[in-house]
Amino acid sequence: MLAVCAKEPGLDSKVDERFGRAEYYVIFDEAKNMPQSIENKAKFEAGGAGGTAVRLLNENGVDVLLAPELGPKAMDAIKAFEMTVYRYTEQKTVRETIEDYKAGKLSKIDTSTTPSKHGLRKV
Amino acid sequence: MRIAILSGKGGTGKTTVATNLLSVSDNGVLIDTDVEEPNSHLFLKPQIHHSEAIKKRYPIVDETLCNLCGACGDFCRFNAILPAKKQVLVFKELCHDCGGCQMVCPQGAIQYKERSIGMVHTGKTDTNQVMHYGELIVGEISGVPIIERLHQITKDEDLVFIDSPPGTACSTVAAIESADYAIIVAEPTPFGVSDMKMVVELLRNLHIPMGVVVNKDGLGDDEIYRYCETESVHILGRIPFKKEYARHYAGGTLISKVDEEYRKNLTGILAQVIGRKEGV
Ligand code: SF4
Ligand code: SF4
Repeated sequence: MLAVCAKEPGLDSKVDERFGRAEYYVIFDEAKNMPQSIENKAKFEAGGAGGTAVRLLNENGVDVLLAPELGPKAMDAIKAFEMTVYRYTEQKTVRETIEDYKAGKLSKIDTSTTPSKHGLRKV
Repeated sequence: MRIAILSGKGGTGKTTVATNLLSVSDNGVLIDTDVEEPNSHLFLKPQIHHSEAIKKRYPIVDETLCNLCGACGDFCRFNAILPAKKQVLVFKELCHDCGGCQMVCPQGAIQYKERSIGMVHTGKTDTNQVMHYGELIVGEISGVPIIERLHQITKDEDLVFIDSPPGTACSTVAAIESADYAIIVAEPTPFGVSDMKMVVELLRNLHIPMGVVVNKDGLGDDEIYRYCETESVHILGRIPFKKEYARHYAGGTLISKVDEEYRKNLTGILAQVIGRKEGV
């Protein structure tokens, strides 16, 4: 199953520009053509939200993730859960982003896109 | 008495005030709890005679015992242990060393290992004043164990100056929560005032009495004074903006050692703080 990071529930929501701290994940079962939205309960956590989000998605049967960015811990988790990630860069709706994925317009990523947030000082 | 010196953001002159207060006190000790960016030693120039590594534990999972039941991941509130498909991932920098995952593991698969997260250095200045500073290894998230150690080794001292991390994060709370008094160092600029408000609120929540030292007085506007008046926050003193001060600072010199007026100013601030405490 496929998951997309979203600002709101549903296929017509805009995609979220964060992964670990995304508001929702819209999970889409290609076989049944059925969307299901889950709230990201880990989004308020201080650190490591990405890893926990990957675990949550795995529990919901997700094996392909469409995401805007991915930190190093989240990427480690993606690999350990044997999921695949495709990156979107445009602020479209979930539906359009899934279309882009199906049309092969999104590129697969296997290294993290953002440096570790830790150890950088907020001034 | 433990006096915290803190600020809403970095670069307001907090360290300058802390190190100079130490220098004008007779019997004080300074701890630099700004462990991500300690710099008071650059001004105090201590001769370091003792350094100790601060250790923290993290879990390691014996894969031959683990059946990937998931209990450890469900328990950990810090996202530090993540049971995945074929192995359990441990993000050791996220681990708070709470011991919980080991307790909940039905297989007895979890052991702990130690690692260093930083150092505490102790030294004496050329005038024989003691200072301790902590240093967090880059990439580590929480300097709290180092800050706790700095407090612990100075718990019997009469007068401790706590150079605190700027802002209102966990590390700031750990640095100041045992303080008897807090000196906020702020600049008279609009940004300075808004950063300071958060610190005032934090101190109120922690019930720590406070006063403000306005650094670089004369540089900005008078919003800070209006704010302190409406909020009845006591102003302990003003340090005027002067080119010589900036020059001494840039050269790593303690201003109170070379400038009599500055020394008097800081002595006055310290006397007020200590007097206040005794007056309560
Ligand atoms: S609780 Fe123990 S057995 Fe269960 S996944 Fe964690 S380490 Fe493995
Ligand atoms: S010791 Fe506590 S914080 Fe560390 S991984 Fe185990 S449960 Fe999480």
